[in-house]
Amino acid sequence: MFAALSPQFRSIENVQNIVDAAAVLAVVTCGITFVLMMGSIDLSAAGVMGASALTVSLLVANNRNDNDFGLAGVAVAVLLGCVFGCLSGLALVLLKVPSFMATLGVSAIGLGVATLMFAGVQPNISDAMLKGWAIERLLGLSYLTWIAAACVLAGWLVQRYTRLGRYAFAIGGAEEVLTLSGVRVKPYKVAVFTLAGAFYGLGGVMVTSQLGAGLVQAGNGYDFSAITAAVVGGTLLTGGRGGILHSAVGVVLVMVLTNGLVQVGVSPYWQGGVEGLIVVAAVAVAVIPQRRRNQVVK
Amino acid sequence: MSTPVAMQPVAEPAIGANSPRPARRLTGFMPLIALAALVVALAVADPDFLTLRSLTAVSRTAAPLIVLAAGATLIVLCGGIDLSIAALASLSTVLLALWLPDLGGLATPAVIGVAAAIGAVQGAAHVLLRIPSFIVTLGGMSILSAVALVVSGAGTVRVVDDTPVKWLDLYVAGYVPMSAAMALVVVALIAAILKATPLHSWVSATGYSESAARLAGTPVDLVKIGAFCVSGACAGFAAAMLVSRQYSGGPTMADNLLLPAVAAIVVGGTAITGGHGSLWRSLAGALVVTLLRVGLPIVGVPSAYEQILYGAIIVVAVALTLDWSKVSIIK
Repeated sequence: MFAALSPQFRSIENVQNIVDAAAVLAVVTCGITFVLMMGSIDLSAAGVMGASALTVSLLVANNRNDNDFGLAGVAVAVLLGCVFGCLSGLALVLLKVPSFMATLGVSAIGLGVATLMFAGVQPNISDAMLKGWAIERLLGLSYLTWIAAACVLAGWLVQRYTRLGRYAFAIGGAEEVLTLSGVRVKPYKVAVFTLAGAFYGLGGVMVTSQLGAGLVQAGNGYDFSAITAAVVGGTLLTGGRGGILHSAVGVVLVMVLTNGLVQVGVSPYWQGGVEGLIVVAAVAVAVIPQRRRNQVVK
Repeated sequence: MSTPVAMQPVAEPAIGANSPRPARRLTGFMPLIALAALVVALAVADPDFLTLRSLTAVSRTAAPLIVLAAGATLIVLCGGIDLSIAALASLSTVLLALWLPDLGGLATPAVIGVAAAIGAVQGAAHVLLRIPSFIVTLGGMSILSAVALVVSGAGTVRVVDDTPVKWLDLYVAGYVPMSAAMALVVVALIAAILKATPLHSWVSATGYSESAARLAGTPVDLVKIGAFCVSGACAGFAAAMLVSRQYSGGPTMADNLLLPAVAAIVVGGTAITGGHGSLWRSLAGALVVTLLRVGLPIVGVPSAYEQILYGAIIVVAVALTLDWSKVSIIK
């Protein structure tokens, strides 16, 4: 439809643009999909990405300090994401705080940590490798896009062939049954959140590579876009449905939609509004079959 | 009518096992204890804190937060959550700033009415489409922010002639800020209406056990929509306070009030699972949160810790006030 409306939309460069712009969102969506499959929700992406963006920009070559750890810095940032994810998971299973509350809290903590590290001076990165990720191209696509593709593949393998992925599905589908059949679900829940945190951490690193600087707001809007992408892809918020590949399709759809709207001439400020409508509509459509059965909705 | 039925199972096991009762009672008074402790700590850290000037400044800062938290408390009492209050308040500041030149004194009630209507629409979407409230309001937050950005052109809207909202920036009897007094009036009004009508039983019945309330004939759907409507109106009123203080409206002006408002509700001891809690608790919670915010720089902690603190407070306070008997599976 957009191809018909705008000649620019049809161009090869624009296809490249869409795919490249989708890279970060794809990685974040990979993480959130696992959480959604369990029937939980994760609002912590923005905070975790901010914290990891600052971490990586302070650890690789930059204008604030003499650190030059290269890939190790990236690893630390991803690890930090794991820690935040683990915190959300622990708050969920040990303190029994509902996941949207726990992750809202963790997001705030992440933003606070990021602000602390920011300390008023923006760290610009000078690390050639990290900067190159966003600029250099392989087969017409940037390295970031290949990283995102690798993440989708890895996520799909985890979902398909490991116990973690299988149980995440099962927890979303019927947690009581799983508990009654003797599976200890708590460690798996924490593990899923930790895995999601790792993806957000990587997402933060990728944003830093794109911007060339560590920003507290690195993850702004990604949390909601990722939920939109996952929901559009067919992952139900009640859990037990969908998967990484569904979400990957959802990411492309969301990117095509936002890119297309801009090309047609709609103000980019509407993007959030469109996403909000999509999420509410998609969830509403998904619960229609259960409407009569399910009387209690909090 | 159904309230005592819903409360019985909570009260009975407490007689058998004595230990949970003092603990429960302690959590009940926690917001007041925390408030007193904070005031004392701040007074010790900074002798100037207990002067009239700084106290009025604190109460002025707290006013919009109190109103926001009071509205959202109703929804939490019904067992839901409203994540859109801050975005709605931001949108309302923009609308108010845009409408003031044309509507004059009528702009404030108009904005409150629109905000209430938006709240009611969200409530209706939650109830009729059976979407969990946090999804509806999360989507609503995104939509409302987008609308605010578009309407304002992504910039601050200055208010040239602020006489219609000026009264909110005045002082009662020379000392008490009008905004703080109005915030108290809002809390007292909503609390009194709840108390004087069957609404209180309806709201807490809905929160304690929705299916039981439904079977007992409570108009659960209407109660919920009403709660969202009141929450929207409160967001509109908080926006009026912000505009009167800042002489402008901005598309992200109130966005940083979401976490403090949620923190205020849970710190006050209103259980996120619904039913247990009150508006007065949220008032105490809002004061605690404001004091923390004001107090951190006094003690010498950088304000970046504020965010971390909110995050930690929310998680811990939710865990403490949760009705553990009711939740078997947490998503």
